[in-house]
Amino acid sequence: MGNIALGRYMDLNSVVNKMDPRTKIMVLLIVMIAIFIPAGFWGYIPIAIFILAALKLSKLSIRFALRSMKPMMFMMVFLLVINVLVMKTGTLWFKWGWFSIYSDAVIQTLYIILRLLLMIVMTTILTATTKPLDLTLGLEKLLKPFEAIGLPAHIIAMMISIALRFIPTLIEETQRIMNAQASRGVDLENGTLKEKVMAVLALIVPLFVSAFDRADQLANAMEARGYDPSRPRTRYKMLKMHSADYMALCMALIVLLSDIGLWMAGI
Amino acid sequence: MSIEIKELKYTYSPGSPFAHKALDGINLSIPEGQVTAIIGQTGSGKSTLVQHLNGLLKVQEGSIDIAGYHLEPQMKLKEIKQLRKKVGLVFQFPEYQLFEETIGKDIAFGPINFGDTPEMAMEKAKTILPKVGLDESLIERSPFDLSGGQKRRVAIAGILVQDPEILVLDEPAAGLDPQGAEEMMNLFMSLNKEQGKTIILVSHDMEHVLQYCDNVIVLENGKVKTFCDTKTFFKHPEWMKEIGINPPGIVTLKQKLMENGFVIDPEIFDEEELAVAIESQVKSNG
Repeated sequence: MGNIALGRYMDLNSVVNKMDPRTKIMVLLIVMIAIFIPAGFWGYIPIAIFILAALKLSKLSIRFALRSMKPMMFMMVFLLVINVLVMKTGTLWFKWGWFSIYSDAVIQTLYIILRLLLMIVMTTILTATTKPLDLTLGLEKLLKPFEAIGLPAHIIAMMISIALRFIPTLIEETQRIMNAQASRGVDLENGTLKEKVMAVLALIVPLFVSAFDRADQLANAMEARGYDPSRPRTRYKMLKMHSADYMALCMALIVLLSDIGLWMAGI
Repeated sequence: MSIEIKELKYTYSPGSPFAHKALDGINLSIPEGQVTAIIGQTGSGKSTLVQHLNGLLKVQEGSIDIAGYHLEPQMKLKEIKQLRKKVGLVFQFPEYQLFEETIGKDIAFGPINFGDTPEMAMEKAKTILPKVGLDESLIERSPFDLSGGQKRRVAIAGILVQDPEILVLDEPAAGLDPQGAEEMMNLFMSLNKEQGKTIILVSHDMEHVLQYCDNVIVLENGKVKTFCDTKTFFKHPEWMKEIGINPPGIVTLKQKLMENGFVIDPEIFDEEELAVAIESQVKSNG
């Protein structure tokens, strides 16, 4: 579990670390939109420059960002294979019996991979520079205006932060139950299918039982301290936008506008 | 045959920035048929050591001889599966490992995994229930209907039913009321006295260690700090202070008495005997 790069907070004390989480979420959204604007190859240049600058400012190494791509590798190869098999437009590059590769298939796949790459690196920067709790606080504040149309922003944020808080606890719990069942002769590596199903059951059932127990205890503890989701709450941590935040937002908007410009000019 | 541990070392996530040395050259010879306590602060390596005894953790460096098995680096899990039958490991709060629909099935789970037929395993489950102080009629009930203390008994029955030669217990009495804790400890002691099972007890409760154990192993920072018989250990309250644990009440009382001029035989660890000693001295000083 120790080498998952995606979604892990790194305390690097950079400019980006100190930025308002709301800014970072909004910048992520703006850049995501820019990535999806079909402005051709040149449209990716401003985005790439922006993301490289963000990486540099957040003191993250390019290697770290690329490592977060690892889980996506399989999907990318899969995409390439499907595209090559299905897309038969553009110029013919290669032919061997029934098997042929057309230019569009490869170019389209490269675009998709580029988009994925940019999005994942961008998201990695967000999660690596923002503590999960700050992230949910930022999300809550951003969703606040939608409360007018009945979106329970506070409840959503509370659910996310509780879920995040219990991930390490559940991993630990899983390890403990696995050890306990292994002591009763469960063998997760070898054995027939039926034995493996039993082994998974012996893990899942106790895990759910203890998770429900915990949820019950947490709910009681919260109620005992007068928690009421519908009441307004004050915060220990106040969010405040600084000049760096406005600058980052401006830059992201410039990237978006230049992409829209390229798109329009292209048509 | 005693348990021989030689130069045992263990590092968590070796080679990564999170590498953590948990055991640093453990040498022990734990006698057979006795009750041995392992004590030490959180992070001293108790759990890591205990998880080596039935092969949950693979030996990285050094070796262990236990229950006829010789454990050393590069062993395959398949070779040691039956070791887990011979060394029963009861984790802290074992009630969280219950999962079957009925108590009988849950207790039979271990024996079936170790090669018994379901019928044989059920038969064993039936005979083990009274031993842990539960009624045989409960066998068809769901384990989740029971109280916390009863659940723990079922979970422990699930280990005892494997009839292990060596029983390793991690805080078996934690969270039980005093009476439940005493019943639990008495059950284990009877297994030791009547069937000669070797018992290794990880505990923070010094009263239990003094009352039930023959030997004490103190771990500190992954090394063996002290290994001696229980009486010798409790004659040295300063050892307990060094590792930050509270001595049992009677040891503290003896210490206070000696500071105030009483002469107490260091061999006394029994309340009655201590009372007699105090009485005789009070009388003779008139």
